[in-house]
Amino acid sequence: MTAGTGPYDAIVVGGGHNGLVCAAYLARAGLRVVVLERRGDVGGALAESEPAPGYRAPALAHTVGRLHGRVVRDLRLSDHRLTLIRPEVRVFAPQPDGRSITLWGDPTRTAGDLRALSRKDAEAYPGFDRKVRALASFMAHVQAATPPDLKKLSVADALGGVRLVRAFRRLGSKAGREILRVLPMAVADFVGEAFEIEAVRGALAARGVQYAAMGPWSAGTTAVLLSDSAGNDGGAAGQAVFVQGGPKALADVLLMAARGSGAEVETAAEVASVTTQGGRVTGVALTSGRELTAPIVVSGIDPKRTLLRLVDPVELGPTLGWRASNIRTPGVVAKVNLALERLPRFSSEGGGEPRRLAGRILIAPGIDYLERAFDASKYGRVSEEPYLEVTIPTIADPSERAPQGGHVMSVLVQWAPYHLREGDWDAEREGLGDLVVKTLETYAPGLSDLVVGREVITPLDLEREYGLTEGHPLHGEPGLDQFFAWRPLLGLARYRMPVRGLYLCGSGAHPGGGVTGGPGAGAAREVLLDRKAKR
Amino acid sequence: MTQRYDAIVVGGGHNGLVSAAYLARAGLRTLVLERRHVLGGAAVTEEVFPGFRFSVASYVVSLLRPEIIRELDLPRHGLEILPLDGTFTPLEGDFLWRVNDHGRTMRELRRWSRTDAEAYEEYGQLMVDMARFIKPILSIVPPDPGRIDPRPWLPVVRLARRFRELPERHQATFVQLMTMSAADFLDQWFETDPLKATMAASGIIGTFQGIRSPGTAYVLLHHYMGEIDGAFRAWGIPKGGTGGISAAIASAAREAGADIRTEAPVERIQTRHGRASGVVLASGEEVEAGAVLSSADARRTFLEMLAPGSIPPEFEAEIRRYKFRGSSGKVNLALDGLPDFTCLPNAEDLEHLRGAISFSPSIDYMERAYDDAKYGRFSRRPYIDMVIPTLVDPSMAPPGKHVMSCFVQYAPYHLADGEGTWDERREAFADTVVDTIAERAPNIRELILHRQVLTPLDIERDLGLSEGNIFQGELSLEQLFFSRPVPGWSRYRTPIHGLWLCGSSVHPGGGIMGAPGRIAALELLKDKRAA
Repeated sequence: MTAGTGPYDAIVVGGGHNGLVCAAYLARAGLRVVVLERRGDVGGALAESEPAPGYRAPALAHTVGRLHGRVVRDLRLSDHRLTLIRPEVRVFAPQPDGRSITLWGDPTRTAGDLRALSRKDAEAYPGFDRKVRALASFMAHVQAATPPDLKKLSVADALGGVRLVRAFRRLGSKAGREILRVLPMAVADFVGEAFEIEAVRGALAARGVQYAAMGPWSAGTTAVLLSDSAGNDGGAAGQAVFVQGGPKALADVLLMAARGSGAEVETAAEVASVTTQGGRVTGVALTSGRELTAPIVVSGIDPKRTLLRLVDPVELGPTLGWRASNIRTPGVVAKVNLALERLPRFSSEGGGEPRRLAGRILIAPGIDYLERAFDASKYGRVSEEPYLEVTIPTIADPSERAPQGGHVMSVLVQWAPYHLREGDWDAEREGLGDLVVKTLETYAPGLSDLVVGREVITPLDLEREYGLTEGHPLHGEPGLDQFFAWRPLLGLARYRMPVRGLYLCGSGAHPGGGVTGGPGAGAAREVLLDRKAKR
Repeated sequence: MTQRYDAIVVGGGHNGLVSAAYLARAGLRTLVLERRHVLGGAAVTEEVFPGFRFSVASYVVSLLRPEIIRELDLPRHGLEILPLDGTFTPLEGDFLWRVNDHGRTMRELRRWSRTDAEAYEEYGQLMVDMARFIKPILSIVPPDPGRIDPRPWLPVVRLARRFRELPERHQATFVQLMTMSAADFLDQWFETDPLKATMAASGIIGTFQGIRSPGTAYVLLHHYMGEIDGAFRAWGIPKGGTGGISAAIASAAREAGADIRTEAPVERIQTRHGRASGVVLASGEEVEAGAVLSSADARRTFLEMLAPGSIPPEFEAEIRRYKFRGSSGKVNLALDGLPDFTCLPNAEDLEHLRGAISFSPSIDYMERAYDDAKYGRFSRRPYIDMVIPTLVDPSMAPPGKHVMSCFVQYAPYHLADGEGTWDERREAFADTVVDTIAERAPNIRELILHRQVLTPLDIERDLGLSEGNIFQGELSLEQLFFSRPVPGWSRYRTPIHGLWLCGSSVHPGGGIMGAPGRIAALELLKDKRAA
């Protein structure tokens, strides 16, 4: 696809979901926008792969429950036949001892199930769920706001601040103190204060370390968990929402929304650099040699790459260059997709019931299990017992994604570090696939015989294929040090980059990674504000 | 006949003594009650073996607030701090040695890495700036985020205003210090593994965290806030051991009129109509007072010294979840001579032994030591911070002999099932420490005349610190400032009117700092004046 020749009001670099969201917002506001995508397809990490002929699996993200409702409404995504599937089960966590934990969308039902394991934990669950919802509702306000400029507070900042303070007040003094206490806490402590059973703790804490180079005992992992439940129906269990037709279908809908709003989208167009003059953006230069001009360039690629590869180092200056080089991007996530002949059966309680397997299946039997799996990554290894988040999207959505009777199993492998101490990922790829199948086999005996196709996507593949620095799916570690007013860096958290006219709209910007559309919407909002201010 | 005081301070640790001194100076009839036969709490010197005097628990000083030294005129009461020169990190066949002589440290660092040597200067200046900026927080009474009254927020607003005036790079560094791991923070400047490991070590002291755990950069800064005679991050040894500090503060308190009694354990803090009314000693003796200040930690104060049902259940639940998790032990050795490090054999002088000797050869070493602790074992190869006070203050041992203090981390209070109890494992723990030292200085085994071992359980039993936590509660981010010890009760006052906390369980926390003791006393005096 080649777009027209311009002139453009804005160029969006990268056609990931945030780039498309941002372009759609800008085009709706009347800007002439073009999106430039390096790959042959848009959607970035919403891509699809084919582990075996006739099987279609999510290349990276497999659930989309965090997509901001506001983005869905503003861009009228439902008009484009976006069908979200919400199975009643959220999490199934098989245990090595044959027991299992099931977290349902309905907390009362979950508590009822937990009674068989621990009366105390069953009683604690509804209260814990309410607490997560209350604290996460405040996090939703934090996510929706543009972080304040700590240097000079404008009237708009003050108003935003007032809104946040008001949301904080609404929490009440008790929950207000509580959120300040728990945000920097280790998720192991957060769940440990409420629950006694290791299996319950593991199943609930796992979300706090998802995609992070942190273990459950690392401070700040509670904030990750609460962010994950912010603005959606996640609660304590977390959400499990699928797009009918797979994540690629969402990418298609976003593409239609962007085009429908008037944005041009060009694929196979790799941006080599952002051109500048006198501290101002003038456009972009493509690797093909072609140049496009626009007074606004919005980058949907990660901040490290944006600042260090696209921008002229002279414009950036040595201090900012040094700071940008220290943005932490320790990628630790790999993906294994399995094409299965038929639905596997987990040997633990309830593991034969498809309705329990329709959400997220967690191999995370306890805090220590998670922490040990994390430990290995500190020394550049993958644990022999990794933490896995598995989905079988074909249970809830059988539509044309596997041959009759077959199923697709999508496995996120946590703590597969980008930097291996021994060997390299090209050599270790199949070893990782074997490890995942072996691990799953212990919980679902016979699984390996069902595998008709397998695909392993290492952190190195994520870097090469999607341009994610060190393969970090969130464009930057979701630690407390890269959060809110200092994501990606203090002074650059308001989507504006140090060169005038350059903005950041990817997961490296506030409110961070995941399929949310939040950074795309936030960047568009600030671009439009700046344009209005100039008039 | 019951005696009556204006204020009773429970516990004669350094914070309790500081409180007492300030109260007595303001004219309050003040009594300090110490359980043990010596004053000082964890800042205590004892002759453990005939002729050998040890700073039994805490062993170096830097954080003691200069305003306390000044206001209580401590030098006149005998306080003298002898500087500790540098840090020596022994390695296999090599060493890393930083000294107070800047030029020499630069030459040594250049031997390891030219870029690190350059970064070291810039980093040092930045940290001094940071410490200078954050230092006022040590004197702030934390506001309560649950209340609307703006007045307590003023000092925080002032700090925020100063924050906005900082250059952006300093602002960013400050945010990183409050949120990052010590190792990640240092990674931005340095590449030399033993340098990063040794510097990061001050980020984990007394915490149940590893140098890669987020939040440890704050503890690193906490240890940078110390100053001796205006020189930031200078560390020293008090003459006569850390008990020398306590003795000087006690002397100042007595001079101001405070009564101080040792071997007077408090059995119970009395309340009447929801107000603190005095204490009952273990002997049955009762002492009345208008105010009771506890320098014992939050758990001991509220759960052990008060009659059940004295505090609101919700508050009690919060106190119960306040985390201690002692993570360190102490091994004190009486030596017949000095250790000979194989990495620096036949050293002409003993200069490298005069400062801290740090067993922290690499980031991985430190992390593995932490990994052991996470699963309930003491580190098989621990981080050891060692000092030989007799090289600076020979009066601590008979002529020709030495005392050596080894701070050891990690020693988790809670041992895993199958690891035995601390009473069973005490000697094995000490053997591990000696083995670790012997790997670098093999002659240590022949030198040991006596050894004193403090496991976290011993620290709890002997010094009264719950779970052996040397800071009276972990210095983790969720237990700092307005959340210390529990959200809503960080202002030295407690749900019981007239009962105050004045120990390390309240802001700004642990170390021989004296700040909690001072601020608690000043707050009490402010309330009294307002009444």
